[in-house]
Parts: sequence; C-alpha cells; structure tokens
Amino acid sequence: MPRSEPLFVVHASSGVPIYRQLVDQVEALVAGGRLRPGDLVPSVRQVAGALGVNPMTVSKAWSRLEADGVLIRDRGRGMVVAARRETASLADRREEVQPLVDRAVTHALHLGLTPAQLVALVRESLEEHRSCMNRRS
Amino acid sequence: MHESPFVIETTELVKRFGLRTVLDRVTLQVPHGQVIGLLGLNGSGKSTLIKCLLGLLRPDAGRAALLGADSWQLAAREKSLIGYVPQEATLYHWLTVRQTVAYVSSFYPSWDRAWGEELVRRWDLPLSHRVGPLSVGQKQKLALVLALGHRPEGLILDEPVASLDPVARRWFLETVLETVADGVGTVLFSTHITSDLERIASHVALLRDGRLELHDEIDALKDRIKRLRITAPTDLPRDLRLPGTLRSVVRGSQAIVTLDGVSEPLIAGIRERFSSDVVVDDLNLEEIFLELHDAESAAAAVGR
Repeated sequence: MPRSEPLFVVHASSGVPIYRQLVDQVEALVAGGRLRPGDLVPSVRQVAGALGVNPMTVSKAWSRLEADGVLIRDRGRGMVVAARRETASLADRREEVQPLVDRAVTHALHLGLTPAQLVALVRESLEEHRSCMNRRS
Repeated sequence: MHESPFVIETTELVKRFGLRTVLDRVTLQVPHGQVIGLLGLNGSGKSTLIKCLLGLLRPDAGRAALLGADSWQLAAREKSLIGYVPQEATLYHWLTVRQTVAYVSSFYPSWDRAWGEELVRRWDLPLSHRVGPLSVGQKQKLALVLALGHRPEGLILDEPVASLDPVARRWFLETVLETVADGVGTVLFSTHITSDLERIASHVALLRDGRLELHDEIDALKDRIKRLRITAPTDLPRDLRLPGTLRSVVRGSQAIVTLDGVSEPLIAGIRERFSSDVVVDDLNLEEIFLELHDAESAAAAVGR
C-alpha cells in the first residue's frame, strides 16, 4: 500500500447491507482522492478478517465495484483502483444526478424552505467541497 | 462428489413430541458455500431441527439429510465430513486440553493431527491446562477444534455463543469465519441474536412455531424490504394499494408503508401519483422481522 491503508467501518445491524456499505466507502475514498488510480485495495481476506464479516460479503462488494468500473483486477496483485471514467457524456452525467436533485428539491419545499434558501444551501455545500479539494491538492 | 447438490437438506420434515408438533413440514435446502443463520425464539424448533439433521432424533415424517445421505442412517463417511458444536460442549474437566484432543481424535481415522495442533496454537488454547477451569469462551473454542480436526466440509453449531459475553462472542464468530476461509464450505448456526447473524451469515432462515417462514440472502432481504414515509399535500387514500405491501398505516396526508420489492421507479411513481415527498428507511434484520409479523409475536421472535 503506497499511502496509509484505507480503513473501513461497517455497522452489521444497519439496514444498509454490509456489501453496500463497503461499496459506498470505496467510492467515497476514490471520489475524495484518498484512493487513486492504480492503488491496491486490501484483499477480501484482509478486509473480512479486520472487520469480522463474511468474506463472501467483501467479495461481493469488490465484484460490484469491478462491474461498475471503479476497481479492476490486476492479475497477480489483486484489485486496484481503475482510471477515472471521464468518458460519460455530460448528458449521461446530468441524467445520473437529476433524480438526486429532484429529491432534494421536493424535500426542501416540503419542509418549507424558500427557493433562495435552498440555493444558498447548495452553494454552501459546493463551497465546503471546494475547500476540501484544495486542502488535499 | 455428492449425489445431492445440498450439504444440508430437509424435506417436509415433521417432528412431534407427544401431542406437540415441534417441526411442521420444514423444507430447507442449503447448498455448498452458504453460511446460514437459523433464527427463532426459544422453542421454535431450532435445536430439534439440528438434532434431526445430525441423526440424534428420528423424524415422524419427511426426511433430513446431510451430504445427500439420510440423517438417520449416516455412514462413517458422512459423519467424517460434518463437524458439530453443541450449545455446551461435553468435555471431561479432569483431562488437559492436550489429552482431550488426543481422546477425541482417536475416534476419527481422518483426524488431521497437524491441523488440530495448528488450531490449538492459533486460538491460544493452553495445551497442558486442565479443561475444568478454562473460561466458557475457551471451552467453546476447544469444542470447535474438536469439531474441525477431521477437516469437515460442513459445520453445524447449536447456539454456540449463547453463553459467551459480547467480546468472546465476537471473537468466536470471527474464528468460525476463519474456518470458512480455510475450506469448511458450509456453516449452519442457530441463534436468537440478529446482530451476530447479520455480521457473519450470508443467509438467514427463520423458524417460527416449527415452521420455516423464510430462507433468503440477508443482503437481498435488506435491499428488498424498505419502509417508506409518505407525506402528501392533501389527504391520502385510506387504502394505498401499493404492490408488495407488508404493513400500511395511513393517517390523513401521511402514510408509513413497509414494502417487499422496493425499486426506484416504484418510488418515483408514488411521488408522481400523490405529488408527495417519500423518505425511504433502510431496515435491519430485527426491524424486518418486526415488520414481517404482527407486532406482538414479532417482538418475541427476535428474542430479548
């Protein structure tokens, strides 16, 4: 492992299946730049041993991430982070985010936020992310 | 290798004690590779099912089988491919750990001595100590060594952690998982603690009053069964008629609905139809069981 080894935390009694928690955490580490293309992720055995969960569960998470193109199998080494997918068209990427935006808007309006307040929230969130990214690079 | 694709199998299994039907036509098929948790309240038939599988009890009707062979007539071959850890291991307290392993291994032609010694070392069992004063957790580990030394393909555990404290429980369960990684393909363990099951099992089977209510992958259950909180601008119809409804409570413009088979299009459909806000709650195993049953019996089914 080139940098500090990624840490995973799972809550067995959460309503979110353990494999999904792992998928989300790897995606977050990749999105946040903590795991970079070519980085090795720990083996199924290592993660299962460290977390005390069924190896099949970890293997399922890694397979899912492989199918989604987040990880690729590097023969002899194990699973590594894939090169970033910049190939998706703007339209595709918009389409992926649209439902999340719709939900946030509906929810905000239900709670009685004004459009201006909602826009302010989005700005703050963007600001937060930007400062995180700057700190990292 | 085996004629049956199932390591553990019951077909329409019935067991009665006097007038009481303890197992009521239980059909359960466990293929190689599953770590299956058998969940149910005390008296739901878990131990009876395990005893029928091991050939310790004779079914009144139907069949129990291990590795394709009838449990009541297990031959040495099948017995040598199965390991069993009872709720409380029968150990001779005056023997040392070393003597205990030597004594039990003498019954098994296929006992792998090096492997047995490796397990004892790995789990820090004191070879020269007498069994009597060992902690409950250490005794359970010793029982696991005794159940694994002949390198079984399948492992059956009857409430193996019932008498352990949380730390020992976690430790023991991780040890069981290690054995899966070491080649024990199939594990069935009974419990009434849902959190243990969620951590190490791939599948869950629920026994209730002697009937098998459910046998499914835990992840699939959690992905499928969700609770929706629906808030609409106007009153919702009293009867929402959403597909796969397990439980539905409508109060004015608000509803709480638990559905089996939740999908994005379904939720989008609900949002559209009632121009409502829908919040999706993930449910853990305990909550799923509470939703699957009426509140009273469900509270009992998940134990304490």
